[in-house]
Amino acid sequence: MSDAGVVRLLVFRVGGLLCAAEAERVREILPRLATTRIPGAPPAVAGLVNVRGTLVTVVEGWRALRQPEPPASNGTQGGTTVLLEVGAGRKVLGFTVDEVVDLLAADAAALERRAALPGVDPTLVRAVGRRAGQLFVVLDTDALLTPILSS
Amino acid sequence: MDLSQYAELFLAESREHLSACNQLLLEWERHPAGLTPVSGLFRAVHTVKGMAATMGYARVTDLAHRMENLLDVQRRGAHPATDELLQLLFRARDALERAVELSVVGRERELDVAAIVADLEQAAARMAPARPGERPVPSPEPTEPEPEAAGRLVQVTLRPEAPLKGGRAVLVLKRAQALGAVHAVTPPVTAFEADEFDGRFSFRLDATAAAEQIEAALKAAGDVAHVTVGGAEAGGPAPEPGATPGDAGAVGGGPSRHIRVDLRRLDGLMDLIGELITVRGRLNQLAAERRDPAVDDVAIQVSRLSSDLQAEILQARMTPVWQVFDRFPRLVRDVARELGKQVAFRVEGKEIELDRAILDELGDPLMHLLRNAVDHGIEPPAERRRRGKPPEGEVVLTAQRERASVTITVADDGRGVDRRKILERAQREGVVDAHADALTDEQLLRVLARPGFSTAEAVTSVSGRGVGIDVAMTRIRALGGTIEIRSELGKGTTFVLRLPVTLAIVRAIMASVGPERYALPLTYVAETVEFGAVTTTMVEGREAIVLRDHVVPLVHLRRLLGVTSDRAPARAPIIVLELGDRRAGVVVDGMLGQQEIVVKGFDAPQGTLPVFSGATIMGDGVPALILDAAGLV
Repeated sequence: MSDAGVVRLLVFRVGGLLCAAEAERVREILPRLATTRIPGAPPAVAGLVNVRGTLVTVVEGWRALRQPEPPASNGTQGGTTVLLEVGAGRKVLGFTVDEVVDLLAADAAALERRAALPGVDPTLVRAVGRRAGQLFVVLDTDALLTPILSS
Repeated sequence: MDLSQYAELFLAESREHLSACNQLLLEWERHPAGLTPVSGLFRAVHTVKGMAATMGYARVTDLAHRMENLLDVQRRGAHPATDELLQLLFRARDALERAVELSVVGRERELDVAAIVADLEQAAARMAPARPGERPVPSPEPTEPEPEAAGRLVQVTLRPEAPLKGGRAVLVLKRAQALGAVHAVTPPVTAFEADEFDGRFSFRLDATAAAEQIEAALKAAGDVAHVTVGGAEAGGPAPEPGATPGDAGAVGGGPSRHIRVDLRRLDGLMDLIGELITVRGRLNQLAAERRDPAVDDVAIQVSRLSSDLQAEILQARMTPVWQVFDRFPRLVRDVARELGKQVAFRVEGKEIELDRAILDELGDPLMHLLRNAVDHGIEPPAERRRRGKPPEGEVVLTAQRERASVTITVADDGRGVDRRKILERAQREGVVDAHADALTDEQLLRVLARPGFSTAEAVTSVSGRGVGIDVAMTRIRALGGTIEIRSELGKGTTFVLRLPVTLAIVRAIMASVGPERYALPLTYVAETVEFGAVTTTMVEGREAIVLRDHVVPLVHLRRLLGVTSDRAPARAPIIVLELGDRRAGVVVDGMLGQQEIVVKGFDAPQGTLPVFSGATIMGDGVPALILDAAGLV
């Protein structure tokens, strides 16, 4: 698995979008946690959560990726928070997803280098992959999340 | 093998020794005829030399060696110190400090120590009138830091199969340093990394421990096959007899009850205990609902244990203030000398402890205040005599513990602040009302702390532009502390700094705003009143209340924080915050009582309103933001 050219990807669903993030950047997968609103923060920020005594800012996945709001049942109870390491400083940020689908190893070269799938901002996409016949976008999590953190 | 991980330790220990050097030099300067400080100085410099040699910092080693030589000559000859010698030693100490700082960041090459080395050499040569039979002190080539063979020869062979031999060898040297100074490491430490390093090396160790003890200590580093410990080599300078374990100057000598702990470790512990206390709250709630005596019992025990644990961890973060104060005697002396003033500097309450995180931030503000005291406070000797004061001024730095806070005062017996002059200026610059006829201490401080405000007739290189108080005030406030001034014309000025003992835990009022909760640290809460019970007025376009003749502008948290859900209550409490002489009334929906909160930082997303100083975790495990008085008032 650790061979060069192989990347491990965490595949998850946000609204109608199948996405993936590099597993190496995933710190932890947690159920949805109670958030505290941060006044003034961008709308994509769900708020602050408590992860075993450490405060983590959580970004609402569907808002960040401009997906439709999930049904009410998903609003506060359902869903999953993926803790991601972001940027060079590897700051930890939460990212809410509807569900985690799979953890897979992909040949880095096999990821089709394509601009994007329709409906997704191409600057946020590193590559497009295929799983069980379905396409997924490998998110550039740094490009997606760093602008949300100040400085 | 990377030596850089030891560089940090080297730096920390060297700084301690160099700080000790300063204290000893100052003591010597006060009593130039006494020779007691010399042994301590010699030991401190000697230890720095040994450590630097191990790290392969040739220039530090060389410089320390020359200083050591000079001190040795001085000690043997029992000469009283001349001012010239003391100034040279001060300079050499400073050069050594720079050498240490540059070496650890890999900029040793930028160092030019030739001039100071030459001066040290000359001074030593002048003072050593080669008495018959006395062996001249060897002076090594700068490129060869340790040709002198002092101490016992220790030869070490690592196991042939040991991995990372270079790293292991460094660990063995660290063990050896715990026993005494290490020199003449062969091959040099820099060669440990080389492929051809075969795990055999030797060094000289200044230690009085038995050979078996040395052998056992070194073998404890692991992967050591053989250790042979030889006798002391004749010919080198006698090992420093005073350098025995337990000596204040000899850090790392013998068994110690103290260890160095990375501050991040302690922060981690704080986080965990904070969480434990949160969970404890939940457990207590559950226990209360269950009404089961057995569960109650466990809950009570957990409560007690976690409180004790919290107290222990807070205690572990406590650091005596001398760790920062110790550099000030030298600072005050240098400033006084530069300005031609005579200043006696006293420090009281050195042993008072503060949270490490606070103490680390205190150095700069105090430095500014002390410089100000010497520069603007203390008069030149002639002026003091004219005013019937002793020519030597006094500056006193005091630390005192008061319940949950520590008070630090910087007091001088100098000329005091001329309020009339300041008032004129303050009026001219529009800082106070044109018809104000006196300045309160509070207003005085505000004027003095204005960036760029200066009363100094001539701006000196020492302080001058009024920048000092400005900086000090900002820093102290950022730490959740307060600063006050008391000044009497002709008698002196005192700055009083009040600081929380720990940043980590504060008492706060919890307030509700719509469905949200916010914490307001009690430090700045003056009082609470009820909205509606007092009349509001408009002052300069802002809604305000009048409290005992003071106009207090209101801040509606609902509006400020953008809380839209449900309606504001008809009668809302107002929390009056006070920061210096500024006030603000914060209108909230309800008060949820007071409690101790554990303050934590968070990565604020862009756009976050600049009114939060952190966040805390409530009893139910959900975070609540902490409002920053400075951002609201």
